[in-house]
Amino acid sequence: MTGLTRSAAYRIAFAYSAAFAAAMALLGLVLFFAMHIAFSRQLDALMIDETSELQAEFRTEGPGELAEEIRQREAFHDHDRLFYAVFDPRGRHILGALQAERPRPGFQALTFHDPLIGTVAGRALVTDIGGGVRLVVATDGARVKAIDRTIISAFLVAIGAVIAIGIAGAFMLGGYLRRRLGQISGAAGAIVAGDLRSRVPVSARGDEFDRVALSLNAMLDRIDGLIGNLRQVSSDVAHDLRTPLARLRNQLESGLDSLGDADAAREVIETSIQRVDEVLELFASILRIAEVETGRIRDSFTAVDLSAMASELAESYAPAARDAGRTLDWSIAPDLHVRGDRGLLAQAIVNLLDNALTHTPEGAKIGLTLARAGDSVRLAVTDNGPGVPEADRDRITQRFIRLEHSRTTPGHGLGLNLVAAVARLHQARLSFGDNDPGLVVTLDFPGTMS
Amino acid sequence: MQILVAEDDADTSAFIAKGLSELGHLVLCVARGDDALHIATTEHCDVIVLDRMLPAMDGLTVLRRLRAAKIDTPVLLLTALGQIQDRVEGLEAGADDYLVKPFAFSELAARIAALGRRLPLSDVATEIEFGPLRMDLLKREVRRAGTLIALQPREFRLLEVLMRGGDRVVTRTMLLEQVWGFHFDPRTNIVETHMSRLRAKLNEGDAEDLIETLRRVGYRMRGI
Repeated sequence: MTGLTRSAAYRIAFAYSAAFAAAMALLGLVLFFAMHIAFSRQLDALMIDETSELQAEFRTEGPGELAEEIRQREAFHDHDRLFYAVFDPRGRHILGALQAERPRPGFQALTFHDPLIGTVAGRALVTDIGGGVRLVVATDGARVKAIDRTIISAFLVAIGAVIAIGIAGAFMLGGYLRRRLGQISGAAGAIVAGDLRSRVPVSARGDEFDRVALSLNAMLDRIDGLIGNLRQVSSDVAHDLRTPLARLRNQLESGLDSLGDADAAREVIETSIQRVDEVLELFASILRIAEVETGRIRDSFTAVDLSAMASELAESYAPAARDAGRTLDWSIAPDLHVRGDRGLLAQAIVNLLDNALTHTPEGAKIGLTLARAGDSVRLAVTDNGPGVPEADRDRITQRFIRLEHSRTTPGHGLGLNLVAAVARLHQARLSFGDNDPGLVVTLDFPGTMS
Repeated sequence: MQILVAEDDADTSAFIAKGLSELGHLVLCVARGDDALHIATTEHCDVIVLDRMLPAMDGLTVLRRLRAAKIDTPVLLLTALGQIQDRVEGLEAGADDYLVKPFAFSELAARIAALGRRLPLSDVATEIEFGPLRMDLLKREVRRAGTLIALQPREFRLLEVLMRGGDRVVTRTMLLEQVWGFHFDPRTNIVETHMSRLRAKLNEGDAEDLIETLRRVGYRMRGI
């Protein structure tokens, strides 16, 4: 039972049932008083009717007829009967079975004696009906009490039922809440224990718990992805840095031998600086991607005129492409805007153009297009080079992935990884397709403004 | 020029001071933020090289206080490797230029020279002259010894940045930033491509080359 007091689920369920039972009790109390008052008024009305009837009898027919009427009524009524008494002007009891001292006129509580049922605590209406004659019509208080008792016992039964149902419901509801929450904490516990693939079970109902479970699972997937990424990066960094650092070391070592020759030494130092710059560039790219992936930059997003940016980049790149023996053609629809970071969007497009220039043979045709495609804005970079085999297309956005045939081309294998990170940051879809021949890379930006 | 270098790493500080002294500058080195603020407010400096991370008072705070005190000495902010947001913060705090560590000394020297020479007048000038070149910024026209040279907008901007630099070196990264707005280095050599086109147009008819290339450093206008 200690589990029950410490369980929020049970506490909430019990509190709810208790509140419901309390509301029922309050309702019962209100009904009880309402019925008690209504019944009392009804009895008062009965006594008023009886009094005025007997008074009329007395005035029209005289005392004899009154006595006759009272006798008849006393003989006729049984359990819900009224009690009568008539006193003469001198205060003597002259008629009726009700035995008591002469009371003062008006409604009042009256204890009297009845030959059939003994002492009765009741309520009486006392009226002077003329000529100093005083009529007493009374009811037995037990009648009201009996009604009260009936109402109270009915309510006690009802509240008992409510409490019983409430407790049962609280146990069921509490148990249900505990079970659903237990599944979530179970999954969390499994993850803490080391099973990173553990997930919260999701039922088909799609209720609040399922929605929580779905968002928790999405969060876990994201964390899992980030951890995987981190692991990948640390091992890749270790691997990718080893090569240039080893080369640097060899170079410096051979530099020691050529200390006598100033020109040779100078060359060694210059290439060493170049190697160090490569390592630094690699670091800069890794940090930049890491920063993009935190999503913090989203706070400083502005409207970016993608059309103007793409045109400027195309104009800057066309001569460079020509110098490199390739051609760059572009077709850019005007006035297409997206929300984003200007610098990162430019770098993503530049990386795609750089890739197209590096991974195609001389004479290749490269295209840059920007157009509205349905609800989205589509930017595409195409080439007619060797393309990327379909099996490799999922891999090429990963960090440091360099396909076999591109091992000899310059680059550190982070270009597309940054494009993918920038796409994710802008909620854009990055996809790779076949240009027959060649590669087409598309970036679809959603929900844009024109 | 008198240059204040606020940098807490003794090696970096010595490296910068040595290089700048060799170029003929007078260098004051401090290692703490509060010292930097004190010297910057009490002594005349032409340029301040300010590290972002300094003991006692960080570089951005020093910069904000300087600007709040209406001291508008040009400030070159130094920062550790690559945070995009950092650059924005630095410029918003009032930095005139921004350089990421580690850097080539030639890059730092070129940027300090550019900052030291920055005159308010040159920003509103409508004409720039260098040797036989006249650039009309309103008409977007360039003439060499009176002959009109037709330039693409990008080439015009490239020449404008070079001419504003006068006979000082403008580095490749400075050109990428000021002409293309890139704060990264694209793999494709767009600077070289556009520079060779600009050069070919300027030097048409075997005229003497007005742009000098400094290997691994940058470019500068050559006085004839």
